[in-house]
Amino acid sequence: MKNKIETLLACALVATLVGAVYFQPQRSKPAVKTDTKPVAQAANQPASSNSFAVVNVKVFDGEAIIPRATVIVKDGLIAKIDATNAPLTADIAQIDGTSKMLLPGLIDAHTHSWGNAARDALRFGVTTELEMMGDAKRAAANKAQRESLAATEQADLWSAGSAVTVPGGHGTQFGLAVPTLAAADDTAQFAAQFVRARAAEGSDFIKLIVEDLSAYPGRKTWPTLNSAQIVAAISAAHAAKKMALVHVSLKASATEVLAAGADGLVHVFANTAVDANFTNLAKQRGAFVVPTLSVLASFAKSGQAEALANDSFLRAALSSEQRQSLSVQGKGLPRPEVFERALSNVAALHAGGVRILAGTDAGNPGTAHGASMHGELALLVQAGMTPAQALSAATAHTASAFGLTDRGRIRAGLRADLVLVNGDASADILATRRIVQVWKNGFEVQRIGQALLAPKMSDAPQIGSFEGAQISAPFGSWMSSTDQMADGKSTGAIKLAIGGAKASAGALHITGKINAGFAYPWSGAMFMAADAMAPLDASAKTEIVFQVRGDGREYRVMLFSGESTGGIPVMQYFKTTPDWQTVKMPLADFNGADLASFRGLAWTADLPEGEFDFWIDEVELR
Amino acid sequence: MSALRSHSVLNSYFLESKFEFLRLLRTPSFSVPAVLFTPLFYLLFGVMLSRGQGSEAARYLLWTYAVFGVAGNGLFAFGVTVALEREQGFLRYKRALPMPPGAYIFAKMAMAIMFSLITICLLAVLSSTLGKVSMPPTHWGILFALNIVGVLPFCALGLWIGTMVGGQGAPAIVNLVYLPMAVLSGLWLPLTMLPKFLQTLAPIWPSFHLSQIGLSVIGRDAGGSLLVHFVFLLVFTLIFALLAKRRLALSN
Repeated sequence: MKNKIETLLACALVATLVGAVYFQPQRSKPAVKTDTKPVAQAANQPASSNSFAVVNVKVFDGEAIIPRATVIVKDGLIAKIDATNAPLTADIAQIDGTSKMLLPGLIDAHTHSWGNAARDALRFGVTTELEMMGDAKRAAANKAQRESLAATEQADLWSAGSAVTVPGGHGTQFGLAVPTLAAADDTAQFAAQFVRARAAEGSDFIKLIVEDLSAYPGRKTWPTLNSAQIVAAISAAHAAKKMALVHVSLKASATEVLAAGADGLVHVFANTAVDANFTNLAKQRGAFVVPTLSVLASFAKSGQAEALANDSFLRAALSSEQRQSLSVQGKGLPRPEVFERALSNVAALHAGGVRILAGTDAGNPGTAHGASMHGELALLVQAGMTPAQALSAATAHTASAFGLTDRGRIRAGLRADLVLVNGDASADILATRRIVQVWKNGFEVQRIGQALLAPKMSDAPQIGSFEGAQISAPFGSWMSSTDQMADGKSTGAIKLAIGGAKASAGALHITGKINAGFAYPWSGAMFMAADAMAPLDASAKTEIVFQVRGDGREYRVMLFSGESTGGIPVMQYFKTTPDWQTVKMPLADFNGADLASFRGLAWTADLPEGEFDFWIDEVELR
Repeated sequence: MSALRSHSVLNSYFLESKFEFLRLLRTPSFSVPAVLFTPLFYLLFGVMLSRGQGSEAARYLLWTYAVFGVAGNGLFAFGVTVALEREQGFLRYKRALPMPPGAYIFAKMAMAIMFSLITICLLAVLSSTLGKVSMPPTHWGILFALNIVGVLPFCALGLWIGTMVGGQGAPAIVNLVYLPMAVLSGLWLPLTMLPKFLQTLAPIWPSFHLSQIGLSVIGRDAGGSLLVHFVFLLVFTLIFALLAKRRLALSN
C-alpha cells in the first residue's frame, strides 16, 4: 500500500516533467536573447560607442524647445539634458551642435514595413515605425528588437499584424494569404473572436479596414465590414486591452467608427469636408487622426514623391529601391481637388483640437520608408500646423497616443534615438531633411548604403532576334511571366513565330489572357539579364529599341532594377498596330530605374481583362 | 481554554522559528555563504562582465539570479539540515517534543524565505546601483513577491532529498542537483547558448518555470504559457512534499 502511493507519486512526477517539456513552445521568440549574452559578448563590444554628448545644441524635446543645451547619452540611454551647459569631462566623445538642432527619433505612425523598410527608415531618422498591417509572424521578433538596446541598422516596429477585413475586401489584394472574417459566418461574435485571435498572435494594436472604394471613381465597390462587425471588433479590441485603429476614406464611415469607440483613424477622409459635428465627435472621443497625406498626395498625383526623390538633401541616402518606389504611379488621372480637400480637412481637424499624428503609409506606391516622413512633415505644415506642432506629431504625441514610454522625447532615461539636423526645424520644417547624424539606441547609424557593384553588361546591343530554333539571347534568357506568381489568374505563353520584322526569319509571339485575381494583373514575356534576375551594370546603355506588331491593344515595357528582385518595376506604355513598327524608348524616361543594377525587362499586357496577342522582334538595348 | 491553547500553538511555531534562526545565525559556515554566494556571482557576471551592453544584461540576469538564489536557499535549508538532523537523531528528539509536528517544517520554511529575502535585497541593491538597472516599482514588487513564494518548490525538493540521503553526503547531493539545474534552466547564461537538446529539456527544472514567470514580466521569456509554469510549480511542490511526507512516516 505504502509503495503504491510512492509509485503513484513517481508516475505523477514523470507525467509533470514530460508535460512541461511538451507544453513549452520551442523558441517561439527566437531573437529574444540576442542582446543578453553577458559572458560571451562583453569582450568584443566597443566599450562606449553608445555613449556621447552633443554640446551647444538647440533641442526640440518632443514638445518644447531648449535654446542651448548639452545632451548626454550613456549606454544607449539619454542620461541628462543640461541647459546650464556645464563643461564635460574629457572621457566622453563630444559632438558640436552649434547652429544645429537635436530631435527625438521620428516615429512614422502608418507604415507597411516589408523587406528593407526598417533599414531604409532608419537612414532618414525614422527610428520607429508603427505598422498598420503586416506579417503577424514577426510579432515576437519585433518585440525583442524594440526592447533591446543593442546596436542595430533597423528601426523598431510595432505592428497590427493581420488586419480585420472581409474576404475580397481591401487588404486582401496584395497577393498574400491573409486571414479574413468568413463571409458565411457573418456574425458579430465571429468578428470579436477574430480580434481575440489577432491579440493572441501578438498584434500590438488592432487595425480595422472599413473601405468599399466608393471614394475612388471608376472602380467597382468592394465588400467591407458591416456595422455590427465594427462594433464587435472594436469592443473586442478594447476588451483585449488593444487600441482599435481604423482605415476609413469616407466621412460617414469615420463618424460610424468613432461612435463605436475607435481610438484613431489612420487616414484622413477626403470625400467631403470636415464639419464642426465631426470635429467635436473626434475631440470628445479623444480620437487621433493619422492623415497619411503622403500616400494621398501620391494617389492624387500631386508631384510630392518626385520632389522627394530629387531633394538634394535626401537623394544621397535613397536606395535604388526607394527611388523606384517614389517614382511608381498608377494609371489614373491627377485629382488635385481631392488632395486639396485632404489638406483642408487636416487643417480643420487641427484647428478644432483633434490630435494629428504623422504617418506616411510607406510601403505604397509613391512613398519611401523614412524619406516620405520628411515629405509628410512638410505637408502637415502646408495644412496649417506650425513646424513645431508637426514635429510633435512625429515624436512625443505619437509616443503618448500609442503608449510608447521609452521614446518619442529627449528626456533623461529614454532610449537615445536621436536625429541631429542642420538649421532650426522648428522654424523651417525642411531642415529635417538636412540630417547630420542619426543615432539608434545611442549607436551612430551608417547613412549611405553600400554601392551595389554589378558586372558590366555586354556592349553588343542585341538581346533578342528570335531567328534560331529556340528562344535564346546572346546573354540572359527569355521566359513567359504572369501574375500567377502573385496568386493571380492570368495566363500566357511565348513561342517562336515564323517571319519577323524587316523580312527576318522569326519573331517572338506573345499570347495570353488577362484574368481578374490579382490587383494589378499582368502577363507577357520577360527577359532576364542574368540567372535568377541577378543584376548587371547597364549604365552605359541609353535606349530600348524593338519591333512590334499586335492586336491594337496598349502594352507596356517594365524595367526591373535595384538592390533586390522584389523592387517595383518602372514602366512605359506603347500601342500596337497590325503592321510592324519600331518603338524607341529612352532609358531616361524610365524614371527611378537604377541602370547600375539592371535586372530585366518585360513586355506585358495589363488591364482590361481579356485575351491579347502581339509579336516582338529585333530587341536591342543600345 | 481554547484561546490559550491556540495561543500556545502559535507560540510554539514562533519559538521554533526563532530558535532555528538563532541556530543558523550561529552557524556562519552555513548562513554567510548562503547569503553571499548569489550576490557575488551576480556582481561578477551580471555587473562586471556585462559592461558595454547597457543595463539590459544586468536586468535580465537580475531576474535569473534571484531564482538562482532562492533555489539555493530552499534546497540547502531543507536538504542539508534535515539530512543532518535525521542522521544525528535530532529529528527523532524533536518529534518526541510536545510541539505541533508542522512547526519543524514551518520554521525551516520561514528561514528559507527569510534568507531568500536577504538575497534578493542584496541583488536589488547591486543591480540598481552598480548594474544601473531601472524598473518600474511594480516590477520590483513582483521580483520580491514571486521569488519569496517561489522558494517553496525548492523547499519541497530539498526536504525530499534530506529524507533520502545521509548527513555527510547531503551537501554534495544537493550541489549535484543545484548547480546543473542552474545552468540547464538558463539561470547563468541565456538558454539559447546551450545545445539544442538541453534547451528542449529545460522545462523539467522548476527553476526554469520560476525564471520564465519572472522574465515574462520584462518580456524576455521564451514564450511559454504562464499557466503551465504555475501549474508545474504547484504540482512539483505537492509531489515532493507528499513523497517527503511518506519518507518521514516510513522512517518513524
